[in-house]
Amino acid sequence: MLSKVMSFALAGLDGIPVEVETDINNGLPSYELVGLADAAVRESRERVRSALKNSGRKFPAQKITVNLAPADLKKEGSWYDLPIAVGILKATGQLAGADTGNTVFLGELALDGSVRPVTGILPLLISAKARGFTRFILPAGNAEEAAYIEGLEIYAAGTLTQVADHLSGLARLTPLAVKKYEAAARGKYSSDLAFVKGQAVAKRALEVAVSGGHNLLLVGPPGAGKTMLAKCIPTIMPDMTFEEALEVTKIHSVAGILGEEGIVTLRPFRTPHHTATTVSLCGGGTRTVKPGEISLAHRGVLFLDELPEYHRSALEALRQPLEDGCITVTRAGGAVTYPANFMLCASMNPCPCGNYGSSDKVCTCTPAAIHKYRSRLSGPLLDRIDIQVEVDSVKYDDLVSDAAEESSEVVKKRVERTREIQRNRFAGMPKTATNADMGEREMQKFCRLSRECEDILRMSFEKLKLSARARARIIKVARTIADMETSEQILPAHILEAVSYRSYENFR
Amino acid sequence: MTYTKEERALLVLDSFGAEYAKKAKLMKLAAAPSELAENFGAYREAVAKITDEKTAARMERALAGEEYTEKLLHMYAEKRIECVTFFSAKYPELLRQISDPPFVLYCRGNTELLRERMFAIVGSRHTLPQIAKRTEEFARELSGKFVIVSGLADGGDTAAVSGALEGGRVISVLAYGFDHVYPGCNRALLEKVEEKGLAVSEYIPSEKPLPYHFPARNRIIAGLSEGVLVVSGGEKSGTRITAARAYEYGRDVFAFPYSIGVASGAGCNALIKEYAKLTENLVDIYAAFGINLTETEKIPLSDAERTVYEILLDGEAHVAQIAQKSGLKPHEVPIVLTMLEMKKLAVSCGGNRWAAVR
Repeated sequence: MLSKVMSFALAGLDGIPVEVETDINNGLPSYELVGLADAAVRESRERVRSALKNSGRKFPAQKITVNLAPADLKKEGSWYDLPIAVGILKATGQLAGADTGNTVFLGELALDGSVRPVTGILPLLISAKARGFTRFILPAGNAEEAAYIEGLEIYAAGTLTQVADHLSGLARLTPLAVKKYEAAARGKYSSDLAFVKGQAVAKRALEVAVSGGHNLLLVGPPGAGKTMLAKCIPTIMPDMTFEEALEVTKIHSVAGILGEEGIVTLRPFRTPHHTATTVSLCGGGTRTVKPGEISLAHRGVLFLDELPEYHRSALEALRQPLEDGCITVTRAGGAVTYPANFMLCASMNPCPCGNYGSSDKVCTCTPAAIHKYRSRLSGPLLDRIDIQVEVDSVKYDDLVSDAAEESSEVVKKRVERTREIQRNRFAGMPKTATNADMGEREMQKFCRLSRECEDILRMSFEKLKLSARARARIIKVARTIADMETSEQILPAHILEAVSYRSYENFR
Repeated sequence: MTYTKEERALLVLDSFGAEYAKKAKLMKLAAAPSELAENFGAYREAVAKITDEKTAARMERALAGEEYTEKLLHMYAEKRIECVTFFSAKYPELLRQISDPPFVLYCRGNTELLRERMFAIVGSRHTLPQIAKRTEEFARELSGKFVIVSGLADGGDTAAVSGALEGGRVISVLAYGFDHVYPGCNRALLEKVEEKGLAVSEYIPSEKPLPYHFPARNRIIAGLSEGVLVVSGGEKSGTRITAARAYEYGRDVFAFPYSIGVASGAGCNALIKEYAKLTENLVDIYAAFGINLTETEKIPLSDAERTVYEILLDGEAHVAQIAQKSGLKPHEVPIVLTMLEMKKLAVSCGGNRWAAVR
């Protein structure tokens, strides 16, 4: 007898419907699985057999053929166990009268018959909903994640028995209640700007960077607090909207790093080690194309500590995603596009020994060594980092002082206000969300410089020997500073402050 | 480029390369190089004694006809090298006066600079960033009155050269021939010097940067200049050789003072103890040459700029300190400092610390 059950395959972040067809014939007992299944799917036979047996059902001693259609799509992942088991039950008549017509089954089976959680549920659900599927049976372990999608009838099952009883009407499961998305409550982040003592210049730069979505380079000696500052960036970014949270959760779900909450509510903060390869940063893999660190940092912060220590090729690979906000990874198996709209924050020492410019320690590097160290960063990459600021070593007195520092909450309020101004400005421009995203055309329109500003800019180029490509950077940052002061016009002071965030060029 | 008979003979003799002492002995053999060239047969024995049989034989062959000379001069012209010999009118008078003047100066760039008043600024490779900045400022200012002479090493020399480069009034004295560049990271700087200023060497193009060339080169730096400013240098720095030669030649020596325990300045302090003039500002240098400092035009400053500048005049200060003392908000301080930097009144010393430029 033949049965058909629906399931889904995942290609990147896209779900594609898969029909699991099971046919049972008389003949020598055998189990044939066709439809380009990878090892994890093919091994399902043993899991399905034991799970059925240990749930008190029968695994037929007949010739079983399972086909995963469409046959030309590669199937990966472990969530085909449940649809196959249901298909066998149906085909052997063990689910009399059950209607599985439009129900999508996803789940991995344990040998004892319980249903195990799987990765990538959220992107599958979103795609399935878009394709008109509304009824789902999922592992109970994925319930948290699935509960955020509205308009679906989702049943979370803990065991195969529950699924069978539900389908045959013996014991109906209750559909999942929809959960309301709530942005992360304050204090969920472990860092807070209030804990960072002193560093007024760097903190201001941090606020400017986040307000305008600018990338940031922190330059300072070891132990100055660069990492601590960077960790504060997510705490002053505006809360993620539900749409943003879903985007992030989708990626984290596919990567299998989703926590117990089921949805990512905190902005991601990714810190790949400097030995990271191009593939681990950008995404890839031999068969499945997994999202890389830059996609995991989507809508959050990618923090590259000790920037010059990274492989040159890995850094250069960041240039395109920094521009486009997404990355297309092409492998023999096909091309996958992952979103990668992140804020880049990098840190570095001013010289190999780290003490260049220190007031009390002696720098032992020769100028040639310093030059070599700095030349590891390419100009085009630095061009995409609008703000470069020095972080100096903290004095003991600063550390123990009780001076009240502004908390992240206060700064975040201001950032949100500045972002609001930008949202209104760029309304109707889907590609531009922040000042940092502006292209030449937008800059012409929104960054008109008064004659006075133009003069100051020209003077700063002549006197401070700035490179020509610094111009756009300075104007964009000046626009953000003007927004922070709710000034319609860019004023000379804004230009001057923007000019001061170019400490890296100082070195050259 | 045309050369006199005397010069042509000298260039041919010099092209065989040798240490300065040997060249000097060779020149002493005859009354003039042309005399030596024309009657080489008579001097051959003596020449072979000073150099060796092989070199003497090669010299004889080279001097026999015009072919070698033409080829040599063509090669120099091709490499854009102009030779200023001891017999040339362009040869700087001050250099002629020293006890061991180079016979030929191989030049690339604007040789007119050799006629002007010169002042040397030298420093070691280990130069603190704030000192390098200050050196640049000094070189820029001094290049209004003098052509700045320096080497091409990293650190102090580089700062001096790049400071004076803008106006093109700079001479870099090299310790090797024009076929080489040392240090490699200053290749671009050397090209700029050749384009805007002048690069000078006493060595034929193929001569490599050998260690003993550098002290010999330092005597040229000292010899060209009316005064030498040593901006940095440890106990054993080569800048002390330059200073010592300058002192020997009766030129003024100036040095930046350093505080106790700064390794990169111990040599400067030692020089001050012996004969160098302690130099804090340009007036210290101008006074020695009787140059009256014309009143520098008053740069208009805003109230905030004046306040911050006055704080900086008390010594290097951190942005946070400046904010505290001036009463400005922390984020307003960089605005004022950038303005002061543009007006060339302040420099960043790294680590968010700033210093005034006087």
